[in-house]
Amino acid sequence: MTNPPSIKAMVQAVPRSLGSYGPVLAEIEQALQSPQCNLSTIGDAIQKDPDLTARLLRLANSPFFGFASRLSTVAEAVSLLGIQQIQDMIVASSVLEQFKGVPDRFVNKDSFWRHSLAVGIAARLLAMERRLPKPDKFFVAGLLHDVGRLVLLSQAAEWAQAVFELYQRERILLRDAEKQTLGYDHQQIASELLQSWSYPPVLVQAVAFHHTPAQSGAKLEAAVVHVADHLVNAMGIGSSGEQFIPPLDDRAWALLGLAPEALAKIIEAVDEQILAVEDAFLKNGNSGRP
Amino acid sequence: MVVARDVKNIDGMLLAPSGCQLSERQINILQAWGVTEVEVEAGAEMAKAHDPLSQLPPETLAKITADLRARFWKPDDFGPAPAEIYKLMLLRQARHILQPPT
Repeated sequence: MTNPPSIKAMVQAVPRSLGSYGPVLAEIEQALQSPQCNLSTIGDAIQKDPDLTARLLRLANSPFFGFASRLSTVAEAVSLLGIQQIQDMIVASSVLEQFKGVPDRFVNKDSFWRHSLAVGIAARLLAMERRLPKPDKFFVAGLLHDVGRLVLLSQAAEWAQAVFELYQRERILLRDAEKQTLGYDHQQIASELLQSWSYPPVLVQAVAFHHTPAQSGAKLEAAVVHVADHLVNAMGIGSSGEQFIPPLDDRAWALLGLAPEALAKIIEAVDEQILAVEDAFLKNGNSGRP
Repeated sequence: MVVARDVKNIDGMLLAPSGCQLSERQINILQAWGVTEVEVEAGAEMAKAHDPLSQLPPETLAKITADLRARFWKPDDFGPAPAEIYKLMLLRQARHILQPPT
């Protein structure tokens, strides 16, 4: 092998496609521009996609949101969850769909997304516990925190193989194997990818420094994703390829200032929510989507 | 049975201080004073019943402890936070063994 591929080259090779969710998102965008836009217009746009409708209702009725009464229509879900949150969920689903072709040779994709969804849940719960604004944004940050690994696996399979060979041979952290082999790690790849997709800078900073939150321009947000990742690794829910529980940064932990009882409560809630969230994101709605 | 919180009558008169061992005779006296509820300390037996780690066979406990420790990166350098997380994970795993999640 010659030199490792540049991060830019790998990221440019990943098309920004919203996949089969594109038409729905476009219709929502269009509806939002209209002065006559109301919740039922948005609901109608979503309902044209039965698979998305089924997923959305499953999630809306799950312990993830914990609404007291059962929601039976998309319009109810839109009014209770909010348009922004629904757009975020659809975009997140589109990322799962986008990488479905990545081979399972080094990382099992179901396990990868299970881990990512659990980190999203934990990050959202930590943000709620800290009373941070827009906790649902943390779900997206958690969900995408390791997406850089999928870019490497999909765009530079032979380099991914070299990373995993070194990782298995030396029994070091996977991130260190990435740095030693490539000169960069999955955080940097994800940072470039999410910037190219015009994700909000705070979200990019939270993902780009989830192993090194003290270096982030959004320390608190990165600390939330960092602690969530550590917790979920410790819980052993799925895996993004790393078999060790990566070290916990004391400063990030101190920044969150969590009481042990709060932590116990969050662990319990992650266990309670993961199946339902997995069901909404990973299992088929009504069609053959991932 | 050990009293966990001072027992007083409606006039605030102390009937049984916290830490006092309650005998059957004392319970009758408290009832005569109209006391219907007394907070008592959980005994060692009760605490054991609520501690999932103590309910596991020793070899199972040793195995889950060793497996969990092997997954943590540099467990000898644990600060207080990873130590707390380690403890919570051990409890979670013990609960899952005793009552597998559905």
